[in-house]
Amino acid sequence: MVSLVLDNATVDFPIYGAQKSFRSALRSATGGLIKREGRNQERVVVRALDNVSLNFREGDRVGFIGHNGAGKSTLLRVCAGVYEPTQGSVKIEGNVSPLFNMSPGLDPEDTGYENIVNCGLFLGMSWEEIDRKTPDIVEFSELGEYLNLPVRTYSAGMMTRLGFAIATAIDPEILILDEGLGAGDARFADKAKRRVDSLIARASILILASHSDALIQAMCNKAILLQSGSVVKSGTVEEVLDAYKQVNQAV
Amino acid sequence: MTPQYEIACRDVLGGLAEWRKWGRLGWQEIKRRYRRTTFGPFWTSMSLGLFIVTLGFVWANLWKQDPKQYLPFLTSGMLAWTLVSTLIIEGCSVFTAGESIVKSLRFNYTILTCAAIWRNLIVFCHHFAIFVLVALFTNVDVNLKSLLVIPGLALVAVNGVWFATLLGSVCARYRDVHQVVSSILQVAMFVTPVFWSPSQLEGRLTHFVDFNLLYHFVEVVREPMLGKAPSLWSYGMVVGSAVVGWSLMIYVFSRFRRRIPYWL
Repeated sequence: MVSLVLDNATVDFPIYGAQKSFRSALRSATGGLIKREGRNQERVVVRALDNVSLNFREGDRVGFIGHNGAGKSTLLRVCAGVYEPTQGSVKIEGNVSPLFNMSPGLDPEDTGYENIVNCGLFLGMSWEEIDRKTPDIVEFSELGEYLNLPVRTYSAGMMTRLGFAIATAIDPEILILDEGLGAGDARFADKAKRRVDSLIARASILILASHSDALIQAMCNKAILLQSGSVVKSGTVEEVLDAYKQVNQAV
Repeated sequence: MTPQYEIACRDVLGGLAEWRKWGRLGWQEIKRRYRRTTFGPFWTSMSLGLFIVTLGFVWANLWKQDPKQYLPFLTSGMLAWTLVSTLIIEGCSVFTAGESIVKSLRFNYTILTCAAIWRNLIVFCHHFAIFVLVALFTNVDVNLKSLLVIPGLALVAVNGVWFATLLGSVCARYRDVHQVVSSILQVAMFVTPVFWSPSQLEGRLTHFVDFNLLYHFVEVVREPMLGKAPSLWSYGMVVGSAVVGWSLMIYVFSRFRRRIPYWL
């Protein structure tokens, strides 16, 4: 049973080297609460998430909505098990495939084929799985002979294609997407969209952070509104998008 | 078992078991060093060889030793020292160097540690060519005891895992430690019997050598290369350091593994 449960998860980022420049604690419109800790208030921490409790199960397609610095990316990383919450807990049942940056472990000096293996291993594929999926990655990226050349010789668009093709070849149980995945020229963008759709269809749980209402409406059946690291609204996509509009008008 | 302790153990054991991943990472790094150069890692071997041969002749005369005896001693010692010291230096940056993946994926961090150690063992094999060359022109005893070089390297690697994990975590939090470690190592190279043999001390400063852990790491690799068996004391120190070090590493890693992505 695939599930993801956050119980009162709080994330405090320690900021090292900021001790002298921060004069006082302040609450800002964007970003988490900046505060001081420790005996002499000598430690500066940013509270990026504040007591977040969530419960996702199979079939959930969740959109995270919020301003810049509201805590979306931090929450995504907590869901992916990258950051363990400083307080509270997170329980992840199932394989998580986080796609925050396109290609973890992509090295410009290595050839395309070598990078397929390296990135694949980091994304949690087994050697056999990579062997099996390489033809698909090769075909989708349309890079042909270029895959024998070092990645540094690629254009930016070609590099994106390769990263995208590898990243979307996985079979995820819990898929975590930060917005802005997929690029390239118009024809490729269209192809990329279809590939993401099938990737999402294969996943049991989808978690997506985005600023695009349309994207959230199209992909998700649940949404969560974040503000300064707290969940201020959760429910259906329509309810949450309405709440987000009200927040925006108030500001 | 507390969950944190379990997570740390699972990371270490799981990471060690994923040898195909760290094996690949280590090789890939060596391959990168070969790119667009003809000799790749052999360049470091050659500069090391030049260093050894030139200084070897000067010092053999300075200390009135037979170059045919001194050169193999210096070469094997320098190879062992280079392995140990680069393991320590690179151990400091295992996690900082892997920042982008530590911050974007959940995986066993020990893979990064193992890859660094594997990579350095491969580099050692490159450097071994210098020793073979030196051995051809001098008289090095090759016998059954020479095979002890393999357990010697294994012991260094086993110690390397705890050392790199521990130092890597500490250096992720306190960036100054890297500088401290490299300063200490620079001095340690002269204080540890690499260029000179402990017998030249003629009984003075014996504790200084006997309790120098770095010396024993060098010994378990160097002595077999010269066809001699390392002393039991050296093996004892190296095995002891592995036991103590691993316990310490598991303790620290249990407490701070979860903090590593926050520190990067």
